[in-house]
Amino acid sequence: MYKAIAILVLTLVLGAAMVMALGITGGGAASGAGRADIVLINRGDVNTLDVQRMSWLQDFRVASALYEGLLSADRFGSSFELRPALAESWTVSADGLTYVFKLRSTAKWSNGEAVTAEHLRLSWRRAMLPDIVGDYATLFRLIDGAAAFYTWREEQLKAFAAAGGGPRFAEASALWQETVRRYDETVGVRAIDALTLEVKLRRPVAYFLELMAFEAFFPIYTPAAEPYEQPDATSGRISFSTAWTRPPQLISNGRFKLEKWRFRRDMLLVANPHYWNQSDIHARSILLPSVNDPNAQVMAYTTGTVDWLTDVVPDYRAEMIAAKRQFYRENLEAYRTLLQQGLDPVEIDRHLPPDPRAHIHVFPTFGTYWYNINCQPLLPDGTPNAMVDRRVRQALALAIDKKYIVEQIRRSGESIASTMVPPGSLGTYDTKATVRGLGSDVARARQLLVEAGYPGGAGLPVLEILFNRDGGHDLIAQAVSRDWQENLGVSVRLVQKDTKIVGKDLQNKNYVISRAGWFGDYGDPTTFLDLNRSDDNNNDRGYNSPEFDALMHAADAELNVEARMALLAQAEKLIVEVDLPLIPIFHYTSTMLFDAHKVSGVSPHPRQRQDFGLLGRIEGPKGDGVRALTPRSVLPNAAAPALRSAITLDATELLPHALPGTKP
Amino acid sequence: MIRLIASRLAQLPLIVLVIYTVTLFLSWQIPGSPLDAPEGKRPPPEVIAAMEAQYNLDSFGTFYFSYLDNASGLRWVREKLEGTAAMERAAAQETGRPYIERSIFDLGPSLQYDNWRTVEIISGSLPVSVAIGALGLAFAVFIGVLAGVVGAARPGSLADGLTFSIALIGVSLPSFVSGTLLLLIFPVMLGWGAIGRLATPLDLLLPAVTLSLPFAAYIARLTRMGMIEALSADYVRTARAKGCSPSRVLFAHALKNAGLPVLSYLGPAAALALTGSFVVERLFSIPGLGQHFVGAVLAKDLFLIIGVVMVFSTMLIVLNLVVDVLYRWIDPRIS
Repeated sequence: MYKAIAILVLTLVLGAAMVMALGITGGGAASGAGRADIVLINRGDVNTLDVQRMSWLQDFRVASALYEGLLSADRFGSSFELRPALAESWTVSADGLTYVFKLRSTAKWSNGEAVTAEHLRLSWRRAMLPDIVGDYATLFRLIDGAAAFYTWREEQLKAFAAAGGGPRFAEASALWQETVRRYDETVGVRAIDALTLEVKLRRPVAYFLELMAFEAFFPIYTPAAEPYEQPDATSGRISFSTAWTRPPQLISNGRFKLEKWRFRRDMLLVANPHYWNQSDIHARSILLPSVNDPNAQVMAYTTGTVDWLTDVVPDYRAEMIAAKRQFYRENLEAYRTLLQQGLDPVEIDRHLPPDPRAHIHVFPTFGTYWYNINCQPLLPDGTPNAMVDRRVRQALALAIDKKYIVEQIRRSGESIASTMVPPGSLGTYDTKATVRGLGSDVARARQLLVEAGYPGGAGLPVLEILFNRDGGHDLIAQAVSRDWQENLGVSVRLVQKDTKIVGKDLQNKNYVISRAGWFGDYGDPTTFLDLNRSDDNNNDRGYNSPEFDALMHAADAELNVEARMALLAQAEKLIVEVDLPLIPIFHYTSTMLFDAHKVSGVSPHPRQRQDFGLLGRIEGPKGDGVRALTPRSVLPNAAAPALRSAITLDATELLPHALPGTKP
Repeated sequence: MIRLIASRLAQLPLIVLVIYTVTLFLSWQIPGSPLDAPEGKRPPPEVIAAMEAQYNLDSFGTFYFSYLDNASGLRWVREKLEGTAAMERAAAQETGRPYIERSIFDLGPSLQYDNWRTVEIISGSLPVSVAIGALGLAFAVFIGVLAGVVGAARPGSLADGLTFSIALIGVSLPSFVSGTLLLLIFPVMLGWGAIGRLATPLDLLLPAVTLSLPFAAYIARLTRMGMIEALSADYVRTARAKGCSPSRVLFAHALKNAGLPVLSYLGPAAALALTGSFVVERLFSIPGLGQHFVGAVLAKDLFLIIGVVMVFSTMLIVLNLVVDVLYRWIDPRIS
């Protein structure tokens, strides 16, 4: 009997397993003949496709393929120029407060309906409601009346909830009607006609057009979302369901539409037949399988399952980068010529012979890694904070050997940072001559400590460096601590905590020195500099400088672009040369794997806002997909910053011929 | 037997309630907010407050009871009885909006995966984990029992030493090493199978093998110990004396008794294997349940943490019950 049971159980278990295996593996989009034109592994799994609630980079990249905003940025030109997209033209009033956008009459949703100004107006209303609020809600407060509308709604909801007493359908519905009416009447967004949108701002915002190319401001197909957003009879809030973001409900206006989305498995985008500019779609389908292990990601790429791995994480990427340098050395003559022609880095690879070593690409990004210094006079435990003296902060900055960190620890083409805003990332903000930041100068650092009353580090408390586990932050902290101990004589203690705890400590300013990083959201220096405003919510350093605040305030009011940028440069100079509430260490790079001979549409621009909608396949299933990638000018005399790869050869290796940038 | 099953099933909700309370209490202590944005960017406090209010995250008590209300089905029953559900439907119809039916056991949204309900996540990933787990467990039992019997048949022999070393390696080699090795050997070097794809049942083979190794090793050791003990027992000598073939003695007589410890181990092992493994799933890009045990905690995704813990504990309790029932069936002496 025992044997019978054993056989029975085993058969049942195996049978069930096989049935399930067939069930879960069936219909794999990646299988066999139906391979998508482009298969790519995104930075992570997509969290949401509701643009007004997005906060993750991987979501934005997919959103840019699915949706189209009023404007879009030229991701292949060095100036990252804004161009008409959903809007075919726009005007700005002389006082910089009123924007009028004219929508393209040919723009259609993926169900064939026209995209109207009303869709945008209602999409933006979602972002201004406390009910559906997302991380970028703050940006919408630049619009006239938005902040007051938000506060009013929040108060009404509190009152509604306080009244209690079970579900009140009529009242909840009435409150919603009132909210809709208030939005129509008090918020500065108006649909003048089906194709004209007028936006009034609270104050002039120099980068407002940049925001129109930012995904949070993209329209959603509100008729599909609205049925799922109804007032809850108990709380009065709009309770929302995201069912409309799933295929086939998701209706989009971008180059692609959502065909399939299986949680933690894959997502399939196919070309949108109703997109107004069909000739600007270069792939028929894009598959995003969910692969989360860093090693498996690289193996998936090397075995050919994947065409583009957007973020290469494993440590051995440094060796892969070294191999690519070797590849350049082996093709030195051709490489040098291509550099001199001023081609962009992807185009250069495209002109060199195919080689697996060339598949790794490293580009500068719009992000900076730095150390926060707590600037508050007292630490949370009530003890006085020696860091309040800016000479001490300057000394700490001068004593760090950033070159060692970049070349020996990070090893992925990062550049040494002495400013907050990565140089060359913003065309209009050229600070090469004006904002230099502090370099490395141990003698001056020692002198500053003497002046501050801590000769040889005597009298300074033990400095604690707070950082989060993972990501190699420990190695950098060790290097910094060694520099400070050896160069300045101060004692340093390393404190390693989990990411969430570090976040809490930063918020409560419960630290002395801490590791931090920041990626800019939109193309303006304020996306970095705002962090230092005394009232900014992300001012983790407790930095409070009336001088800095005044400069930022003056920049807010300045309508002339050049004058405004000069004010902002002055403000940044104050931060990175005088006050040092933070010590910039390096600018992040982005490391990716793709074959430039096969894949087109990956942006090498330092802003690193990838738009999956632009991807194309140079050869392969479609056969005809050669993207019209015109060689871009990155010649040194151009006003715009050069598009460059972070994988370069030393200047000496490029001799004997002239270097790019010098006359041959 | 029936009484055992009935009483255990009656205890189940109580145990689950205790586990829920402890889990929520512990996960509430995780520092930080589940609504934290990436890269440490913080929306203004009133925005955070609004987000917390959406999910009842503002106080432990509110969350505890509202979750219990939703997840236990109480709210569903109450709304049916009070007629609130009907009123909501009428209100929706009046305004021409579709009425979204509340699920009976509403485990809430996921805070980490904004777009998905906890129920969807679990019901989507559990079958995957169960398929791989069952396959892995079947491998484990087959390999483990066979290795154990071979080892016990001739203790101290080369075969014993070999199976013992393999078992030792199986126990001590972490899955991320054995899995990476398998990936390197098969898809990368030999070109068999693909990485990052789950398209054919064959794609499940490597993860199932990786998953089975530690279990197989443990089962082999259990079997070997039990077999050595059983082989020295009187009844085995009798069986041999009456002329049974060596294989019949091994498999029919000795294994029956030696199998009991394996069976009791299979209960918790099955619960573990069937709910998936974080490492194996990550390595082979499998959309199973295991990843959420780690991911949900790191993200402080309260709804998902409680959801997966509930599923795991229920499976553990039920599978232990199954083992107990099987035990009594096989060995009537146990009461």
